[in-house]
Amino acid sequence: MSLRFRRFALAAVALAGVAAPAVAGRGITLKGSDTMVILVQRWAEDYMKKTPGQVLQVTGGGSGIGIAALINGTTDVCMASRPMKDDEKLKLRDRYQTMGIEIPVAKDGLSIYLNQQNPVTTLTIAQLRDIYTGAVTNWKQVGGNDAPILLYGRENSSGTYTYFKDNVLMGRDYSSRCQTLPGTAAVVNAVSKDANGIGYGGAAYASGVRDCAVKKDGASAGVLPSEKTVRDGSYPIARNLFLYTRTRPAGDVKKFVDWVLSPEGQTLVTQVGYFPVR
Amino acid sequence: MRSAQRSALMFTALCFLTARSAASAETDSTAAAPPAASAPAAADVMGRLDALTEQMQTLQSDTDKLKRFKFSGYLQVRYEKSEASNDSVQVASKASAYALNTITPANQDRFYIRRGRFKLTYDSGPLSQALLYFDGGTDRTLRLLEATVTLLDPWTVLHAHALTIGQMNVPFGYEIERSSSVRELPERSRAENVLFPGERDRGVKLVDHWTPKLETVIGVFNGGGINHPSFPNTDPTRAKDVVGRVRWTGGTIDAGASYYAGRELAPLTGPDVATDKTRFGADGEVYYAAPRLGGGSLKGEFYSGHNQNADSVKALVAPGTAANGATLLVAGADPAHLATDFRGAYVMWVQNLGEPLQFAARWDTFDPNVDLDHDQFQRVSLGLNYFYDGNTRLTVAYDAVRTDKPAANGYTDPKDNLWTLQVQHKF
Repeated sequence: MSLRFRRFALAAVALAGVAAPAVAGRGITLKGSDTMVILVQRWAEDYMKKTPGQVLQVTGGGSGIGIAALINGTTDVCMASRPMKDDEKLKLRDRYQTMGIEIPVAKDGLSIYLNQQNPVTTLTIAQLRDIYTGAVTNWKQVGGNDAPILLYGRENSSGTYTYFKDNVLMGRDYSSRCQTLPGTAAVVNAVSKDANGIGYGGAAYASGVRDCAVKKDGASAGVLPSEKTVRDGSYPIARNLFLYTRTRPAGDVKKFVDWVLSPEGQTLVTQVGYFPVR
Repeated sequence: MRSAQRSALMFTALCFLTARSAASAETDSTAAAPPAASAPAAADVMGRLDALTEQMQTLQSDTDKLKRFKFSGYLQVRYEKSEASNDSVQVASKASAYALNTITPANQDRFYIRRGRFKLTYDSGPLSQALLYFDGGTDRTLRLLEATVTLLDPWTVLHAHALTIGQMNVPFGYEIERSSSVRELPERSRAENVLFPGERDRGVKLVDHWTPKLETVIGVFNGGGINHPSFPNTDPTRAKDVVGRVRWTGGTIDAGASYYAGRELAPLTGPDVATDKTRFGADGEVYYAAPRLGGGSLKGEFYSGHNQNADSVKALVAPGTAANGATLLVAGADPAHLATDFRGAYVMWVQNLGEPLQFAARWDTFDPNVDLDHDQFQRVSLGLNYFYDGNTRLTVAYDAVRTDKPAANGYTDPKDNLWTLQVQHKF
């Protein structure tokens, strides 16, 4: 038995030897939410200036893509504009024996973008649901012009797509007429050029379009996304933006996360157009 | 793919517009163009853009349909070196070797494909899904492992209730439904292998998530399983087997309890002789994070019940002969003794060693007849996984097997320990 165990130990050491070079000398990779790219890139630029020699690579693709990368080990940190789903946590646990560490780093009011010429100023959650599921197809049905509603949204790998589906559409499927676009900037661009368009996305991107006030129901007042309304919870479609790591952050990753949550890091959140968590 | 197509289209449109603008600017610089000439040009550009947009929307519609298909799978290629031999009969099958009574030395190592699996799912819509799952591994032909249709409830946001019908894993215990592609050791426990060979059966199951952490499953199955000789088209026991499971997924502590009840026919000629087939299972998993090393877990599962016992069948059933082809019980044997009370269990420890390495150790045992000694199986398994990249895993594992075999001085443990080297690629 001892000889066999020695053989096993030998094979284990050999395998560990193969593994060792693979973990040495890497920067920090951050992947995921397109909504967060604008913010995390800003963090990365400032942090790299402040910490010479530290390299941060930031790529988008969507929260789902980032979470998949976290699970299969191709990113150190995942950026997600929605919480991880239970099945994603279980997949992570299958590989790493942990459910991941969730770090809220900013808050976002999910803006409803309307074209500047659109006379509609307020929509209820129920009206938004009807619009995006295809039950309402003309602006006249929600107090606007007699014109067809043109829907713009995100791809299904996007955390914004999932968050909107779960919290506004209440799990129902998007209308087949909804044109999916690769990134919030593309949604904003489309709505800014389309008088009958409507889109949704992060508050930081709302340039050249108009935010629509959102009402929880017909009886409540319309609320626009702002730092105050997002932080006090009165804006109905506010959410946290997260960084996820597989295990408790350590080393360079911990230093970066600590800096993100510091007053310096949180100031950048406001500058970019999102809202600080601290 | 879609964004690439879109980018290409946008790029083409941009080039076209730029070229037109440049041409227009050039014209403007040399001579003042009449205003009437630029209007048709702008209309032409807009028309072309509209056409491109229409094409893009058609492409998007097509790719959206294709995205409903999901294709995944994995391949496990192994090198095994065993103290016992699976190949010696074939090696020694030459007539000359028998004639000389000199058997060729047994072959004790081999390369083989343990699992070569691919899965195709189609999300028909928000409320239904179809799945086909094939294996081209140890079998020489492609084998259908799973084929299901799942209907999701329309009345909850996260579709907390799902009805699945077809051929699927039997929803019992913990390790059956856990994919071999994520398991830390190459094979499941002995108890599971004996009680649920092939793991799958045909039937229907209802899965309910009453809260995010509490799940119940009830199912009705043919009972034979995909490795049963009667599979695929018959169910000789007629009555269906039923299974139920309740599971709590706490995140760091999970626990489950399962129960299975059915009947099994004895392999006898003449009127059916059926024995009870009952299984009770309980499992628990605890997860923790070790400083510096990473995540780890302790898992355990216990099985007990009443099951047809292969050794009892061998001892109590006389196979047919040339004179009498009937398979009958030996004289005086009680058919009830064909099934015995069994007990099985395993305890497993998994520890990540940083991110690319993972160590696993398991002790597992199975006693097919708790009233009999020297029929127990015990095994200690050690494994080390190295995750080469996000898709590929290398595994080295050692199984030390302990069984009792009659010998001159009582019983001895036959030499059948096993080394396994495995490369797995998942896609």
